[in-house]
Amino acid sequence: MTKFIKNLIFFLILTPLLSSGQVAQKVWYDGNSRAMFYRDALSGDLKDIDTTSTRSEGEGYTAIDLGMHFTPNNQIEIFSEIRIKNDFGYMWGSGAYVDLRRLSVKGILNDRISFNLGDMFLKQTVFTLNNFDQELSKYEPSVFQAYRDLIEYENFYFDDYWRMQGLQSNFSYTFYNAINSVEADFFASRVRGVEWLGEPELLMLGGTSLIKLENSLSVAINHVNSFEVQSSSLDTATYYNPVTNVQLEYVKKINDLNYKASLDLGGSTRGWQEKNGTTIYEASGSFLKGVLKATNKRIMTSVGFSYVDPDFRSAGAQSRRVNYISAPSSYAYYTNNTLLRPISMMDITTDPNVYNNRLSTSLMHYNTLYTAVSPYGEATPNRVGPSFSFEYKNKDNSVLVSTEAAYYKELIGQGTTEKRALFSSGLMLTAHLEKLSPLKNKTVFEASVSNENVERGGSDLEAISFNSMMLSAGLSYELFKNLKIIGGLKSFAGKGNEVGSQRDEYDQVVGYELLDFDSKEDILMLGLQYNFTNDIYFSLQTNKIDIDDKTSEISQLSLSRIYFMFNMNL
Amino acid sequence: MKKLTYLFLLIAALFISCEKDGIEGPNLNDLFGELNIIENFMIVGDSASFTSGSAYFTAKFSKIVDWKISITGLSSGAEKIIIGKSNEINATNSLWRGEVSLLPFFKEENCSVLLTFPMHSDTISDSFVINGAKNYGNGSELVVSDFENGFNPNFTNFFQSTCLKKIETGDAGQSDRFLVQEGTCDWDWLIGYVDYPANHWLQQGTLNANPDNVYFNMMIKGDSTLSPTNEANSLFKLEFYEDENQDGYYDQNTEDRLEVEFDVNWNGWKMYSVKYSDLILAWNSGGNAIREPNKILKFRTLLLANPASGFAKADVDYIVWSEGSPILNQ
Repeated sequence: MTKFIKNLIFFLILTPLLSSGQVAQKVWYDGNSRAMFYRDALSGDLKDIDTTSTRSEGEGYTAIDLGMHFTPNNQIEIFSEIRIKNDFGYMWGSGAYVDLRRLSVKGILNDRISFNLGDMFLKQTVFTLNNFDQELSKYEPSVFQAYRDLIEYENFYFDDYWRMQGLQSNFSYTFYNAINSVEADFFASRVRGVEWLGEPELLMLGGTSLIKLENSLSVAINHVNSFEVQSSSLDTATYYNPVTNVQLEYVKKINDLNYKASLDLGGSTRGWQEKNGTTIYEASGSFLKGVLKATNKRIMTSVGFSYVDPDFRSAGAQSRRVNYISAPSSYAYYTNNTLLRPISMMDITTDPNVYNNRLSTSLMHYNTLYTAVSPYGEATPNRVGPSFSFEYKNKDNSVLVSTEAAYYKELIGQGTTEKRALFSSGLMLTAHLEKLSPLKNKTVFEASVSNENVERGGSDLEAISFNSMMLSAGLSYELFKNLKIIGGLKSFAGKGNEVGSQRDEYDQVVGYELLDFDSKEDILMLGLQYNFTNDIYFSLQTNKIDIDDKTSEISQLSLSRIYFMFNMNL
Repeated sequence: MKKLTYLFLLIAALFISCEKDGIEGPNLNDLFGELNIIENFMIVGDSASFTSGSAYFTAKFSKIVDWKISITGLSSGAEKIIIGKSNEINATNSLWRGEVSLLPFFKEENCSVLLTFPMHSDTISDSFVINGAKNYGNGSELVVSDFENGFNPNFTNFFQSTCLKKIETGDAGQSDRFLVQEGTCDWDWLIGYVDYPANHWLQQGTLNANPDNVYFNMMIKGDSTLSPTNEANSLFKLEFYEDENQDGYYDQNTEDRLEVEFDVNWNGWKMYSVKYSDLILAWNSGGNAIREPNKILKFRTLLLANPASGFAKADVDYIVWSEGSPILNQ
């Protein structure tokens, strides 16, 4: 009896504990870690000529991004990521700081509608909301992964999503009739907060509705509207920019090829409205893009064409990653005149601090030298023309070849009735040599070439002839398991003349800059990389960087760099 | 699938062919191109009489450019400036009816003509003969005095003992003669004043009753004298006395006085014009506070200067009432 009572008491006490243990309430952790150090030393002619800059400079830090996930129940997850960072060279906490890097709440309502509050990553189409890649990064060899990971991670560039804050929700329904499914996604985000005596608050609202029909046809309607809130500022005029993109897609398999035909069409309006409702300036533009793609296991080929009106404006799709109105981290000021050093290929390839994290309401500055054909991605205004791409990989994936080309004409001439003809092309080869040769250790060779060409006829003043070429190569050889010796090259050359446009606050062309280019830039890299996994590795490398702008006596820089990075992404 | 491909190609061809006319932004040639004179600079209407006629200029350039035509009277020193931005000078943008930009007025005289381009060093010169000077006014003007017949003794006045008023010939704002007012007074702000009674104006008539339609115009010649504190030394004041009950007298307790004052901070002749409705009611004005130009009994011009600031000067010429707009616009 006593034993029975003991067991009963034991049962009564444990039952609530056991039942509470059934609720999936838990806290779990993940995180990323990085240790980075670089040191640059002046070399070349500038070392002797420039007597005001230091002979060498560098910096480094250790950072841990600790992610905490709290799931109070099966429907909700609260996530925060806290960064603890310590700059090298400081003591007693003076160079250390703690930041909240991300904070979000995710959940599902009634097992039907998911929502996300706080930090979120958003993307729609290349014409409405899209974070397109930076210039000079196409076909970049994987041996430059350490730099690229750093830039993308520090700037929250995950694929072509923009990191924003606000509310996002989506749901989908499946049917059993002519409509297979309907998916809907909505978001409201605050792009720019209230600034004291500054610009108004900038919000972006958007949504996507995708309807899949049973006959392999799908229709999607995407809409975003970015606008400034009039009441949040003393400014007399506020901006608005609605963009709509309708997408049609049809897929069909013929023999062993999967065909996909897609059509994007839509338009934008952008303007500024005064408090009394008067429109100061408004412009509307349309776009159209069609692609026909065929794929199978070994090849992918596509042909397409696009038309983007000169007045098409989309803050979500035309905001650029590289911010040319910024100071580079390495040798920001140089020469005996202590000039601000312009952003170069070296900075674009290695420096996360020259990148932009926020949507821009006007067309951002760019350097024609590095991106003359599509400075605003696929949504670059004033372009019409066809494009082509082709990819091939052999049976055992030991060889991958990729090529693409695009030819555009301007729809309207800038400053002249003559129109630019713009051509871009690229070719990339990746070869796993251990599969193709007697080599036993894993050896990967990558090589690529990209070219941009701009031509315009007319008088001496109107004529443009500009050509740029980017050569990239990389070789990694596995010395023993997971330890690779890596070497790489990025070599850029641009030559010719162009006419840069100067725009006013409404992006209207108000002037020009006659530009001459004769520039060559190289980054040579040699080092070791140890991969614990694909995303956990350390890299120790030495770089030789040369910048030589022959149109200017002062635009020359040679650096020797030692770079170390430990990267851990979980 | 084949039909779809054809559709794609068709749409592509359609859009490739839809290039736009015109240009985006300013013309490159206008900003950076060389300036060439395609058609020579010509004067149409030389030896004109501006009492009824006009003249204009013609030229054609290789680009849109800022241009400036300066016509200077070789005898009077009067100057007319015509500016424009175009690739062509023609009757539309260079018509000249003999008016002046910088006083004095043009006379019957020879003029030099200069075409210049602010952003280019090119200069083209020519000459022009004026056979008849322009008559300002639209027919409704009333000239108070142009001092060509001397100083009207009915214009009562007072000038300090160390100051003077006199009629001088040559370098007048209009025609030949003008009234000099100048002096130094170290004990009072007043240099001197002149009253211009309506019944002694050179041209007699009644002004329009609408104060928005009546302008008082007066040529004043300033000098570059500055006070020790680097301010304009001469202060000019205008007082207008209304005879509201039309009894021939001004009573400050029952009638209005309107006034305006300003620094004479320029050098040379300048036409000062003020709309009657812009005049300020005097602080001790006792009338109906309605501006009634048709009831003006007289007006007074006062030259003032800080006693500590030394010499002051403001000469006067061609005092005229105009209707509808300032006299130089007519």
